[in-house]
Amino acid sequence: MKFIRQVLLAISIAGMVAGVLRRRTKGVVAPQQGGWREVTPQR
Amino acid sequence: MTSAPTSSIGIVGHGIVGSRTALTLQTLGHSVKVASLRTATELFDCSVVVLAHGAPHAALASTFIAQGISVVSTGDNLEDVMSMLDSQERAEARNAVIVAGASCSPGMSGLLVSHMRRAFESIDEVHTAVHGTGGPMCARQHHDSLAGLSVGWHDGEWLQRPAGSGRELCWFPDPVGARDCYRFASPEPVLMQRVEPGLQRITARVSATRRDRLTARLPMLRRPHAEGLEGALRVEVRGVRNGRRHVEIVGIANKVGSISGVVAAHTALAVATGVVPAGVHNLGQAVLPNADILDGAVNSGITLHQFVGTDQ
Repeated sequence: MKFIRQVLLAISIAGMVAGVLRRRTKGVVAPQQGGWREVTPQR
Repeated sequence: MTSAPTSSIGIVGHGIVGSRTALTLQTLGHSVKVASLRTATELFDCSVVVLAHGAPHAALASTFIAQGISVVSTGDNLEDVMSMLDSQERAEARNAVIVAGASCSPGMSGLLVSHMRRAFESIDEVHTAVHGTGGPMCARQHHDSLAGLSVGWHDGEWLQRPAGSGRELCWFPDPVGARDCYRFASPEPVLMQRVEPGLQRITARVSATRRDRLTARLPMLRRPHAEGLEGALRVEVRGVRNGRRHVEIVGIANKVGSISGVVAAHTALAVATGVVPAGVHNLGQAVLPNADILDGAVNSGITLHQFVGTDQ
């Protein structure tokens, strides 16, 4: 019984840590500046 | 591009790259003889042969060189290309040319570095990334290249790292966009170092999915597609311009098989004109008419894109 409680505690702590990490990284967005422009090789 | 003399150009391989090479040459009005790997000796009457079959190429290249026939190899297998680079003396003795790695990466990447080099006073870093595959043999090579050892040039030393490591998000021209790219067993750094011996850092990466990396050390789980749907190449050059650090990024979004075929075709035409001295070379080196080959590739439908960023 004690082992099961420890496992459940470990899983719940891991879940909380994962949740915090997911929330913290949600604000990151891909770079929106710059882009590709067609070019012709110049001699 | 200057017209080739009357001698014909041969192609070994009927796959995607071979057929694109033949199509490019025929569109430009040149005669082409195509043979399979088994019937490659039928091309002994050609002056230049494009090897567009799966690796290895080194043994067949030696056979053609022994006959005095110049070879353009589209192979991108690291060991195979290293073997071809060892053929310098034999090629010179037979007055023949070997151009190793004349495809997309390596190949077009060397042409782009040669072109971008002119925008700098000096360059010290080149980082390439490629997305997509040509035909089935190219897909197998992509699969295998994620399982071996990658080589990289770092501050004057060759570094070996496990292929599939070193994730980096690389942006390719649309419609490909951003892809996770990893180190892979590619001859690109070795060939790029021959293009610009003064470079301090050279890396080569390839886009891959989690499944690609997970299954890299296993046999391919299913047969590869007949041709990769989309492809792209990105070359980043860093150096000094006007006394300040400067970065230029040029990319191409096109099927890898098409890029490889066009590059191989125009390289073969350049070799056929006789302007390339005997020996083993790779695209981007000063002894090759890189500007002519790049112009030819652009005229054959390859569009170049430059990344224009902001300081934010």
